[in-house]
Amino acid sequence: MALAMAPRMRCLYIFNRNGMCLHYHVWLRSLMTLSPQQDQKLMFGMLFSLNSFTAKIDPVSSGKENNPPCSFYSFRTNTYKLHFMETASGIKIILLTDPRIGDLREALMHIYSNIYVEYVVKNPLYSPGQPFRCELFNMALDHYVKTLQ
Amino acid sequence: MRAGSREVAESCLDGITMEMVATYCDRLHSSKPDLAARRIEAIGFQVGQQLAERYTRDRPRFTDHLEVIKFICKDFWAEVFKKQIDNLKTNHRGVFVLQDTRFRWLTRISVDSPLTPSEANNTTLAAAQAGGKYLYFPCGLIRGALTNLGVPCAVSAEIAALPACSFIIRIKV
Repeated sequence: MALAMAPRMRCLYIFNRNGMCLHYHVWLRSLMTLSPQQDQKLMFGMLFSLNSFTAKIDPVSSGKENNPPCSFYSFRTNTYKLHFMETASGIKIILLTDPRIGDLREALMHIYSNIYVEYVVKNPLYSPGQPFRCELFNMALDHYVKTLQ
Repeated sequence: MRAGSREVAESCLDGITMEMVATYCDRLHSSKPDLAARRIEAIGFQVGQQLAERYTRDRPRFTDHLEVIKFICKDFWAEVFKKQIDNLKTNHRGVFVLQDTRFRWLTRISVDSPLTPSEANNTTLAAAQAGGKYLYFPCGLIRGALTNLGVPCAVSAEIAALPACSFIIRIKV
Protein backbone atom coordinates (compact mmCIF):
# COMPACT_ATOMS: atom_id res chain seq x y z
CA MET A 1 0.00 0.00 0.00
CA ALA A 2 1.66 3.25 -1.11
CA LEU A 3 1.29 6.39 1.01
CA ALA A 4 1.92 9.98 -0.03
CA MET A 5 4.96 10.50 2.20
CA ALA A 6 7.67 7.94 2.94
CA PRO A 7 6.16 5.58 5.48
CA ARG A 8 8.21 4.67 8.50
CA MET A 9 6.49 1.33 9.03
CA ARG A 10 7.74 -1.49 6.87
CA CYS A 11 5.77 -4.57 7.86
CA LEU A 12 4.03 -6.38 10.70
CA TYR A 13 3.84 -10.06 11.68
CA ILE A 14 1.53 -11.65 14.20
CA PHE A 15 2.34 -15.18 15.40
CA ASN A 16 0.52 -17.40 17.83
CA ARG A 17 1.98 -19.70 20.46
CA ASN A 18 2.57 -22.57 18.00
CA GLY A 19 4.51 -20.55 15.46
CA MET A 20 1.66 -20.16 13.00
CA CYS A 21 1.70 -16.78 11.33
CA LEU A 22 -1.79 -15.39 11.89
CA HIS A 23 -1.29 -12.18 9.99
CA TYR A 24 1.33 -10.56 7.77
CA HIS A 25 0.82 -6.91 6.89
CA VAL A 26 3.20 -5.04 4.58
CA TRP A 27 3.43 -1.31 3.94
CA LEU A 28 6.80 -0.92 2.26
CA ARG A 29 9.08 -3.80 1.52
CA SER A 30 11.15 -3.63 -1.61
CA LEU A 31 13.29 -6.69 -0.88
CA MET A 32 12.08 -10.13 0.09
CA THR A 33 14.81 -12.76 -0.19
CA LEU A 34 12.79 -15.79 0.92
CA SER A 35 9.38 -17.16 0.11
CA PRO A 36 6.65 -16.01 2.54
CA GLN A 37 6.50 -19.36 4.37
CA GLN A 38 10.27 -19.53 4.83
CA ASP A 39 10.37 -15.89 5.83
CA GLN A 40 7.77 -16.46 8.54
CA LYS A 41 9.40 -19.64 9.83
CA LEU A 42 12.74 -17.90 10.01
CA MET A 43 11.22 -14.95 11.85
CA PHE A 44 9.53 -17.13 14.44
CA GLY A 45 12.52 -19.38 15.00
CA MET A 46 14.93 -16.48 15.29
CA LEU A 47 12.78 -14.67 17.84
CA PHE A 48 12.32 -17.81 19.89
CA SER A 49 16.10 -18.27 20.06
CA LEU A 50 16.68 -14.56 20.71
CA ASN A 51 14.29 -14.63 23.65
CA SER A 52 16.00 -17.59 25.32
CA PHE A 53 19.45 -16.17 24.50
CA THR A 54 18.72 -12.81 26.11
CA ALA A 55 17.30 -14.52 29.19
CA LYS A 56 20.33 -16.77 29.65
CA ILE A 57 22.95 -14.07 29.11
CA ASP A 58 21.32 -11.59 31.50
CA PRO A 59 23.99 -10.30 33.94
CA VAL A 60 21.58 -8.58 36.33
CA SER A 61 18.69 -10.90 37.07
CA SER A 62 19.60 -13.42 39.77
CA GLY A 63 17.25 -16.04 38.39
CA LYS A 64 15.11 -16.14 41.53
CA GLU A 65 11.32 -16.10 41.34
CA ASN A 66 10.66 -12.51 42.45
CA ASN A 67 12.67 -10.90 39.64
CA PRO A 68 10.76 -10.37 36.41
CA PRO A 69 12.21 -12.45 33.56
CA CYS A 70 14.34 -10.63 31.02
CA SER A 71 12.44 -9.93 27.81
CA PHE A 72 13.93 -8.45 24.68
CA TYR A 73 11.85 -5.84 22.87
CA SER A 74 13.74 -4.43 19.91
CA PHE A 75 16.90 -4.52 17.86
CA ARG A 76 18.21 -2.07 15.32
CA THR A 77 20.36 -2.39 12.21
CA ASN A 78 21.51 0.31 9.80
CA THR A 79 18.48 -0.21 7.51
CA TYR A 80 15.61 -1.15 9.85
CA LYS A 81 14.50 -1.53 13.45
CA LEU A 82 12.56 -4.56 14.69
CA HIS A 83 10.11 -4.22 17.59
CA PHE A 84 8.79 -7.27 19.42
CA MET A 85 6.12 -7.90 21.98
CA GLU A 86 4.82 -11.13 23.45
CA THR A 87 1.58 -11.37 25.42
CA ALA A 88 0.64 -13.81 28.16
CA SER A 89 -1.48 -15.78 25.69
CA GLY A 90 1.53 -16.41 23.45
CA ILE A 91 0.62 -13.90 20.74
CA LYS A 92 3.81 -12.36 19.34
CA ILE A 93 3.64 -9.05 17.51
CA ILE A 94 6.65 -8.04 15.41
CA LEU A 95 6.90 -4.67 13.73
CA LEU A 96 9.68 -3.65 11.33
CA THR A 97 10.19 0.08 10.97
CA ASP A 98 12.53 2.83 9.89
CA PRO A 99 15.70 2.76 12.05
CA ARG A 100 15.30 6.29 13.39
CA ILE A 101 11.99 5.61 15.15
CA GLY A 102 11.84 5.64 18.97
CA ASP A 103 10.46 3.10 21.43
CA LEU A 104 7.22 1.56 20.27
CA ARG A 105 6.32 -0.65 23.22
CA GLU A 106 3.13 1.27 24.00
CA ALA A 107 2.21 1.26 20.32
CA LEU A 108 2.55 -2.51 20.19
CA MET A 109 0.42 -2.84 23.33
CA HIS A 110 -2.18 -0.59 21.75
CA ILE A 111 -2.15 -2.67 18.57
CA TYR A 112 -2.71 -5.80 20.64
CA SER A 113 -5.42 -4.60 23.03
CA ASN A 114 -7.32 -2.08 20.94
CA ILE A 115 -7.02 -3.50 17.46
CA TYR A 116 -6.28 -7.22 17.60
CA VAL A 117 -8.54 -8.03 20.56
CA GLU A 118 -11.33 -5.70 19.42
CA TYR A 119 -11.53 -6.64 15.77
CA VAL A 120 -10.18 -10.18 15.59
CA VAL A 121 -10.75 -11.94 18.88
CA LYS A 122 -14.22 -10.44 19.25
CA ASN A 123 -15.10 -11.11 15.63
CA PRO A 124 -17.74 -13.86 15.67
CA LEU A 125 -16.60 -15.08 12.26
CA TYR A 126 -13.01 -15.71 13.32
CA SER A 127 -12.01 -19.17 14.53
CA PRO A 128 -9.09 -18.85 16.95
CA GLY A 129 -5.77 -20.28 15.79
CA GLN A 130 -6.34 -19.62 12.11
CA PRO A 131 -4.72 -16.99 9.90
CA PHE A 132 -6.94 -13.99 9.33
CA ARG A 133 -7.20 -11.03 6.99
CA CYS A 134 -10.18 -9.23 8.58
CA GLU A 135 -11.05 -6.00 6.84
CA LEU A 136 -11.92 -4.12 10.01
CA PHE A 137 -8.57 -5.13 11.52
CA ASN A 138 -6.70 -3.97 8.40
CA MET A 139 -8.50 -0.64 8.33
CA ALA A 140 -7.99 0.03 12.03
CA LEU A 141 -4.32 -0.95 11.80
CA ASP A 142 -3.65 1.32 8.80
CA HIS A 143 -5.45 4.16 10.52
CA TYR A 144 -3.47 3.73 13.74
CA VAL A 145 -0.14 3.37 11.98
CA LYS A 146 -0.74 6.65 10.12
CA THR A 147 -0.95 8.43 13.48
CA LEU A 148 2.42 7.01 14.45
CA GLN A 149 4.40 8.35 11.50
CA MET B 1 -25.13 1.49 40.65
CA ARG B 2 -28.54 1.29 42.19
CA ALA B 3 -28.75 -0.76 45.35
CA GLY B 4 -29.58 -4.34 44.46
CA SER B 5 -28.38 -4.09 40.86
CA ARG B 6 -25.40 -6.05 39.66
CA GLU B 7 -23.12 -5.72 36.67
CA VAL B 8 -21.49 -8.22 34.36
CA ALA B 9 -18.52 -7.75 32.06
CA GLU B 10 -19.51 -6.84 28.54
CA SER B 11 -16.99 -9.25 27.07
CA CYS B 12 -18.89 -12.09 28.75
CA LEU B 13 -22.12 -11.04 27.09
CA ASP B 14 -20.39 -10.75 23.72
CA GLY B 15 -18.78 -14.15 24.22
CA ILE B 16 -22.07 -15.82 25.13
CA THR B 17 -23.88 -14.39 22.12
CA MET B 18 -21.16 -15.50 19.74
CA GLU B 19 -21.06 -19.00 21.17
CA MET B 20 -24.84 -19.32 21.20
CA VAL B 21 -25.04 -18.60 17.50
CA ALA B 22 -22.04 -20.79 16.74
CA THR B 23 -23.42 -23.71 18.75
CA TYR B 24 -26.93 -23.65 17.36
CA CYS B 25 -26.07 -22.84 13.77
CA ASP B 26 -22.87 -24.83 13.30
CA ARG B 27 -22.90 -27.65 15.80
CA LEU B 28 -26.40 -28.65 16.88
CA HIS B 29 -28.49 -27.97 13.80
CA SER B 30 -26.01 -27.41 11.02
CA SER B 31 -28.26 -29.05 8.44
CA LYS B 32 -31.40 -27.20 9.52
CA PRO B 33 -30.72 -23.47 9.71
CA ASP B 34 -34.40 -22.64 10.18
CA LEU B 35 -34.62 -24.82 13.27
CA ALA B 36 -31.51 -23.16 14.71
CA ALA B 37 -33.02 -19.76 13.99
CA ARG B 38 -36.26 -20.68 15.73
CA ARG B 39 -34.42 -22.04 18.77
CA ILE B 40 -32.32 -18.90 19.19
CA GLU B 41 -35.38 -16.73 18.67
CA ALA B 42 -37.23 -18.72 21.33
CA ILE B 43 -34.44 -18.05 23.82
CA GLY B 44 -34.65 -14.37 22.94
CA PHE B 45 -38.40 -14.50 23.44
CA GLN B 46 -38.07 -15.75 27.01
CA VAL B 47 -35.38 -13.21 27.85
CA GLY B 48 -37.40 -10.40 26.26
CA GLN B 49 -40.45 -11.25 28.36
CA GLN B 50 -38.46 -11.15 31.57
CA LEU B 51 -36.56 -8.01 30.67
CA ALA B 52 -39.79 -6.22 29.83
CA GLU B 53 -41.10 -7.03 33.31
CA ARG B 54 -37.95 -5.72 34.87
CA TYR B 55 -37.67 -2.50 32.92
CA THR B 56 -41.33 -1.47 33.23
CA ARG B 57 -41.50 -2.06 36.96
CA ASP B 58 -42.08 1.55 37.91
CA ARG B 59 -44.01 2.72 34.88
CA PRO B 60 -47.78 3.12 34.49
CA ARG B 61 -49.60 1.09 31.84
CA PHE B 62 -49.12 1.96 28.18
CA THR B 63 -51.97 3.71 26.40
CA ASP B 64 -51.53 2.35 22.88
CA HIS B 65 -49.27 0.32 20.59
CA LEU B 66 -47.20 3.31 19.53
CA GLU B 67 -46.28 4.03 23.14
CA VAL B 68 -45.08 0.46 23.59
CA ILE B 69 -42.99 0.62 20.42
CA LYS B 70 -41.50 3.91 21.52
CA PHE B 71 -40.63 2.36 24.87
CA ILE B 72 -38.83 -0.44 23.04
CA CYS B 73 -36.94 2.05 20.88
CA LYS B 74 -35.84 4.27 23.71
CA ASP B 75 -35.68 2.73 27.17
CA PHE B 76 -35.51 -0.97 26.37
CA TRP B 77 -32.87 -0.65 23.67
CA ALA B 78 -30.87 1.77 25.82
CA GLU B 79 -30.87 -0.69 28.71
CA VAL B 80 -29.84 -3.68 26.64
CA PHE B 81 -27.57 -2.16 23.98
CA LYS B 82 -26.65 1.20 25.57
CA LYS B 83 -28.04 3.25 22.73
CA GLN B 84 -31.45 4.08 21.31
CA ILE B 85 -32.91 3.04 18.01
CA ASP B 86 -31.92 5.62 15.44
CA ASN B 87 -34.94 5.65 13.18
CA LEU B 88 -38.56 4.52 13.54
CA LYS B 89 -40.92 4.30 10.59
CA THR B 90 -44.50 3.13 10.47
CA ASN B 91 -47.23 2.77 7.94
CA HIS B 92 -49.88 3.31 10.60
CA ARG B 93 -51.39 -0.05 9.76
CA GLY B 94 -49.50 -2.17 12.21
CA VAL B 95 -46.08 -2.35 10.54
CA PHE B 96 -43.12 -0.65 12.22
CA VAL B 97 -39.53 -0.51 11.01
CA LEU B 98 -36.80 0.08 13.60
CA GLN B 99 -33.44 1.07 12.20
CA ASP B 100 -30.20 0.87 14.12
CA THR B 101 -27.28 2.39 12.26
CA ARG B 102 -24.66 0.80 14.46
CA PHE B 103 -25.96 -2.39 16.02
CA ARG B 104 -23.66 -3.43 18.80
CA TRP B 105 -23.22 -7.09 17.88
CA LEU B 106 -22.56 -6.35 14.24
CA THR B 107 -19.78 -3.82 14.75
CA ARG B 108 -17.08 -6.44 15.08
CA ILE B 109 -18.05 -8.66 12.19
CA SER B 110 -15.74 -8.51 9.23
CA VAL B 111 -14.77 -11.05 6.62
CA ASP B 112 -11.30 -11.64 5.29
CA SER B 113 -10.20 -9.01 2.84
CA PRO B 114 -10.09 -10.40 -0.69
CA LEU B 115 -6.82 -11.40 -2.26
CA THR B 116 -7.94 -10.54 -5.79
CA PRO B 117 -9.97 -7.48 -6.81
CA SER B 118 -12.63 -9.63 -8.42
CA GLU B 119 -13.62 -11.02 -5.03
CA ALA B 120 -14.19 -7.53 -3.59
CA ASN B 121 -17.84 -7.41 -4.62
CA ASN B 122 -18.68 -10.51 -2.67
CA THR B 123 -17.33 -9.40 0.67
CA THR B 124 -20.14 -7.03 1.58
CA LEU B 125 -22.69 -9.63 0.58
CA ALA B 126 -20.92 -12.37 2.51
CA ALA B 127 -20.61 -10.14 5.56
CA ALA B 128 -24.32 -9.26 5.43
CA GLN B 129 -25.32 -12.92 5.22
CA ALA B 130 -23.02 -13.90 8.05
CA GLY B 131 -24.37 -11.13 10.23
CA GLY B 132 -27.97 -12.25 9.77
CA LYS B 133 -27.56 -15.09 12.26
CA TYR B 134 -26.79 -12.64 15.04
CA LEU B 135 -30.14 -10.94 14.63
CA TYR B 136 -32.31 -13.90 15.62
CA PHE B 137 -31.80 -13.24 19.30
CA PRO B 138 -32.70 -9.51 19.17
CA CYS B 139 -35.79 -10.38 17.12
CA GLY B 140 -36.83 -12.74 19.90
CA LEU B 141 -36.06 -10.05 22.47
CA ILE B 142 -38.35 -7.57 20.77
CA ARG B 143 -41.10 -10.13 20.26
CA GLY B 144 -40.92 -11.28 23.88
CA ALA B 145 -40.99 -7.76 25.25
CA LEU B 146 -43.91 -6.72 23.03
CA THR B 147 -45.91 -9.85 23.75
CA ASN B 148 -45.51 -9.40 27.47
CA LEU B 149 -46.63 -5.80 27.21
CA GLY B 150 -49.79 -6.83 25.39
CA VAL B 151 -48.84 -6.40 21.73
CA PRO B 152 -48.83 -9.75 19.85
CA CYS B 153 -46.58 -9.43 16.83
CA ALA B 154 -44.08 -11.02 14.45
CA VAL B 155 -40.57 -9.63 14.15
CA SER B 156 -38.03 -10.07 11.37
CA ALA B 157 -34.70 -8.42 10.67
CA GLU B 158 -32.58 -7.58 7.69
CA ILE B 159 -29.13 -6.16 7.11
CA ALA B 160 -28.61 -3.61 4.37
CA ALA B 161 -24.98 -2.82 5.15
CA LEU B 162 -22.93 -3.65 8.21
CA PRO B 163 -23.18 -2.45 10.93
CA ALA B 164 -26.63 -1.01 10.23
CA CYS B 165 -29.67 -3.24 10.48
CA SER B 166 -33.42 -2.88 10.66
CA PHE B 167 -36.12 -4.80 12.53
CA ILE B 168 -39.61 -5.07 11.06
CA ILE B 169 -42.48 -5.51 13.51
CA ARG B 170 -45.87 -6.65 12.22
CA ILE B 171 -48.60 -6.37 14.80
CA LYS B 172 -51.20 -9.10 14.72
CA VAL B 173 -54.72 -7.81 14.94
